[in-house]
Amino acid sequence: MKVKTLVGNGIVAALYIAVSFVIQPIAYINIQFRIPEMFNHLVIFNKKYIFGIVIGVFLANLFFSPMAAYDLVFGVGQSIISLLITIATGKFIKGLWARMAVNTVVFSFTMFLIAIELHLAFNLPFLLGWLTTAIGEFVVMAIGMPVMYVINKRVDFKRFV
Amino acid sequence: MFNIIIGQYVPGQSVIHRLDPRAKLLAVFLFVIIIFLANNWVTYALAIIFTLLGVFLSKVPVRFIYRGLKPIIIIIIFTFILNVLFTKEGELLVSYGWFHIYEGGLIQAVFISMRLLVIIVATTLLTLTTSPIDITDGLEILLGPLKKIKLPVHEFALMMSIALRFIPTLLEETEKVMKAQSARGSDFTSGSLKSRVKAIIPLLVPLFVGAFKRAEELAMAMEARGYRGDVGRTRLRQLIWSLSDTFLMLVTLFLTAALFILRG
Repeated sequence: MKVKTLVGNGIVAALYIAVSFVIQPIAYINIQFRIPEMFNHLVIFNKKYIFGIVIGVFLANLFFSPMAAYDLVFGVGQSIISLLITIATGKFIKGLWARMAVNTVVFSFTMFLIAIELHLAFNLPFLLGWLTTAIGEFVVMAIGMPVMYVINKRVDFKRFV
Repeated sequence: MFNIIIGQYVPGQSVIHRLDPRAKLLAVFLFVIIIFLANNWVTYALAIIFTLLGVFLSKVPVRFIYRGLKPIIIIIIFTFILNVLFTKEGELLVSYGWFHIYEGGLIQAVFISMRLLVIIVATTLLTLTTSPIDITDGLEILLGPLKKIKLPVHEFALMMSIALRFIPTLLEETEKVMKAQSARGSDFTSGSLKSRVKAIIPLLVPLFVGAFKRAEELAMAMEARGYRGDVGRTRLRQLIWSLSDTFLMLVTLFLTAALFILRG
């Protein structure tokens, strides 16, 4: 792995956590609007960002989530699976917007893993859990599409890892 | 504004503090799995005793544990009520109109809340008594065997260390940029969804630019100093596995066996 990839991803993970801190009050509850989930779109611009995103999620859950034990397994697992699906489908889908749309749908769909987590932890009904978490994820990532698009115009994500 | 300590680590010299991070990680990992074996009063009591013993030995002031629990207490209460109201098993204890409380529901609610509390306290105890760097080191060594299947374990650990190092720096920078944008009339806390989203962009652009600049500088510094990955790397701080670590493992295994035998 290139040093640049290593350091870039480390810093992206730190940024993920720094941003989740600023908006902490609306994260970690049942309908969550985790703004840093927008960072999931980074993988569209360069697939190497998968490391930074996963480590960001991992550290945020390990040190800042009261549900650490559950979130580490399910939250990190959900991120890895979704990012891999997005990277795999990216080969067949052309265009940034289409890929970001697929990414948004994939992440919302895989929230069923979080619903399983909530069911295990709180005995919450599975479908209700899936619905509430998927809505939160979908809204944030849909909003994230134009946001990340505009930021990319200014900073060009591709060349940093 | 962001007066935080990463990982809420409380330095100390207790038995729990001095345990090898690998032993603590393994014990907590095993514990949050075996807690699902508990399904009656005896097994839950054992798990609670195990956790409380850890808290007692760690000598961490209880208010730190409480601080870890605070954000989730409302959710636990909510879960408790939900389980009491919607489980219809066992004897009917209270009945008032549509409002019924069954014995089974009450017991289930108590058990689920207990399980949550115990898991949260155990993981909080891990982050309270182990510094983030120790956790990273421990993880790197524990996951070491995965290098055989070409997983970049060392790189993961280094990325984690870099991330941990830069969280405070980037938090400070976030705060600075937010203040700068507020001074120019940006509003992050009120207004319509659209205006709030628009306010995020001028926050994130300078953050990304600044972060990437730091990354470039750090990468250059590392290359200049001859960083060449895992091969032949030596460590400043060595982890030492001691007798008390073996003891912790034995106690955890004993608890596992006890839960298996005593569960209903």
